[in-house]
Amino acid sequence: MTNLEMTASISSPTRHHEIEQFLYHEASLLDDFEMEAWLELVDEDIELKVPIRRDRGPGSDASAFSDETYYLYNDYAMLRERVDKLSKEYAWSENPRSRIRHHIGNVRVTQPVDGEYEVKNNQLVYRSQGDTAEHKLLSAERTSTLEHVDGSYLITDRTVYLDHSVLNTKNITLPLL
Amino acid sequence: MSETSSRSEYVDNLVAKTAETLEKGQYPLSITHDEAVYEAERERIFSNTWCFVGHVSEFEEPGDYARRYIGEDPFIIVRDESGELHAFLDLCLHRGAQFCTAESGNTSHFRCPYHGWTYKNDGTLQGAPHMREAYCELDTDTVTLEEATLESYQGLLFARMAGEGPSLEAYLGDFTWYLDMLFGLTEGGMTVIGEPHRWESGHDWKTSSESFAGDSYHVLTTHQAGLETSLGKGPWSKIDDFPEASYLACTDKHAGGYYLVEDPETFMGYPAAVTDNLNPDLSEPQRNLAGRSVFHVGTIFPNMSYIHGIQSAGWGGPWLSIRVWQPRGPGKVEVINWWLVPEELADDEEFKRESHRGWESLSPGGAFEADDLVVWNGISDSCQSTMVDRRETLGNMQLGLDGMSEGVKRVEDPLHGPAEVTTKGLYFDERHSRTWYGAWQSTMEKYGGESR
Repeated sequence: MTNLEMTASISSPTRHHEIEQFLYHEASLLDDFEMEAWLELVDEDIELKVPIRRDRGPGSDASAFSDETYYLYNDYAMLRERVDKLSKEYAWSENPRSRIRHHIGNVRVTQPVDGEYEVKNNQLVYRSQGDTAEHKLLSAERTSTLEHVDGSYLITDRTVYLDHSVLNTKNITLPLL
Repeated sequence: MSETSSRSEYVDNLVAKTAETLEKGQYPLSITHDEAVYEAERERIFSNTWCFVGHVSEFEEPGDYARRYIGEDPFIIVRDESGELHAFLDLCLHRGAQFCTAESGNTSHFRCPYHGWTYKNDGTLQGAPHMREAYCELDTDTVTLEEATLESYQGLLFARMAGEGPSLEAYLGDFTWYLDMLFGLTEGGMTVIGEPHRWESGHDWKTSSESFAGDSYHVLTTHQAGLETSLGKGPWSKIDDFPEASYLACTDKHAGGYYLVEDPETFMGYPAAVTDNLNPDLSEPQRNLAGRSVFHVGTIFPNMSYIHGIQSAGWGGPWLSIRVWQPRGPGKVEVINWWLVPEELADDEEFKRESHRGWESLSPGGAFEADDLVVWNGISDSCQSTMVDRRETLGNMQLGLDGMSEGVKRVEDPLHGPAEVTTKGLYFDERHSRTWYGAWQSTMEKYGGESR
C-alpha cells in the first residue's frame, strides 16, 4: 500500500467495520440465491461491469482490462431482468443451482466523498454444480461505490476485475459476482 | 500424434457408419466425444480446411499481431512492414520453442526466449546472438517461419495449413452471397471493437458449430426462461408466427438461417449511418434480404459461426458477433467471441452501448448462451459413454426430412440467394445438421487415407 492510499483510507474504524459487515451480508445473499433481497441493496442508477481481461505483451503500458468490451455491462433494468430470469424453472444456467461460496478479504475503504465510499475487496468464489465432484474458482478484485443511507449502505456502482484472461467457467451468473 | 492403423480403422468405420446413417437423418452419437475421432479431426479436418483466424480490422498497422489457433496449433497472425498479412506457426526453427508471449500487440520482431534467434515480422531470420562466430555456415535464407496460407473474404481472415487446396473463395462457394450481405453490408464493411470474450467449455466443438448452423428449434426449450422474461421487442414485434418467418439456407458445407419481417427498410434498426452508406455492390435481392432481416445465424465449416441481429432476448442491438469453437481436446472447446459493428458506426458511443448489450447476451454472462452451454456440456458427458459405443446409439436429425415435417418447403425466389432455402427452416428443418455432418463426414473420408 502506498502512502497516498494510507492517507486516503478511512479514518473511522466503526465505518470500516460496518462496511465489511455489509459486504459479508451481501455475499451471503448471493451465496443463498436471495436475489430479490440482494436487488434491494442496489441503487437504481447502478452500473455493474465485468470487463474483459487480456494478456498484454511484456512491458506494455496498456491496461490489462478492456474499456470497450465486457462480459457484463448492466444497468438496473438488466439486473432486474436477470433476477427475474433466475427465478424461472427453465433457467438452465442455474438449474440445478450452483453451490456458491464467496470468500471476501483485503477490504479497503477510502475516506467518504459526498457520503460515498470507494471500497475494494479481493474475492475467491467457489462454484460447483450438479452431481459431480468438479468445482471452479473465480478470483477477482471488486470495486464498489457505497452510499450511506438511513443507517445502511446502497451499492451505487460496481466493477468486478476477474483474474482470468480465459474464463474457466461455462457461464457467469449474477450470484458469482 | 499420427494415427496408428487400428485407430485409423476405428475412425474410418465410424466415418462410414456416419455416411450410411446420414441418409436416414441420423448419426452415430459416439463421434461426438471420442479421443481417436478427435485426433483424426485435427489431422484430417483442421489441417486441410480454411479456418477462421481473425478479422482484418484487428491488424491495421504494420506489426499488429495476435495469437490464434488452427485446430490446437498456435499461430501468430501478423501484418509485416510491407503491409502483407501472415499466419506463422509459433515455433522457433532452432529448437521448436514458442516465442510469442502475449495474446496480441505490435512488434517489428519476434525474439525466441530460448537462445535468442530473432525473426522479422515477415518471418525471415534477422539474426541470433554471436551470429558471425556461431553460425559461419548457416544459410539464413533457408530459415523462415513455418507459414499457413492466409486469404481474406469480406474482411474475414482464414488460414489453411495444407499447401494445396481450393482458394478461399472457391471453398466458401455460393455462401459468399450471404457473407457479402452480412459482412459487406456497408461501404466501410464491419470492424472489430475491443477484445473478444474468451472462455472454456466442456462441450465438443462439433456440437456448437452444428447448432449455430441453424437450430432455432432448441430455443423453445433451452431458452424458455429467456423467452418468458422478454421477447418480441423492437422489429421482432412485427412477427406473429416465428416458425413461418424463419428460413434455412444451406450450401454444400456451410449453412445459416434468418428471420424476416415484411418491411424491406427495417435493416435491423440500424441508424442512417448504415442505411445511407449501403454497399453499392449489393444486388437487389441482397439489399432486400438485408433490409427485411432481423436475425442471421450461421456456420462456415468447420468451426466459425456468426450471429447478426437485434434484440434476440429483448436485449439491445443491432450487433454482429463472430465466434470460433476452438478445439481444446476431446469434448472440450475454448470459445472466442468477437464483437463487430459497421465501420460507419465505430465511433458512435450511443449506438455502441446498445450494440454491446446485444453482443453481451451471447457471452458466458448472457441470457442465452449461459443456458446453451449447460446443455452442450451434458451432451459431451453422455456421448462418451461405453453404452453409446456398444449399442451404436444413433442421434436424430430428421426434422424436415421427406415428409417428416409439415410446412417445410423449398423456396424458389431470388430474394433468398443461391443456396437451398426452406420456409420454417430454422424450426422444422434439420437440414443444417445434415449439411454440417455431411461436410464432416466427407472431409473425414477424403483425407482419411492420405499419407502425411
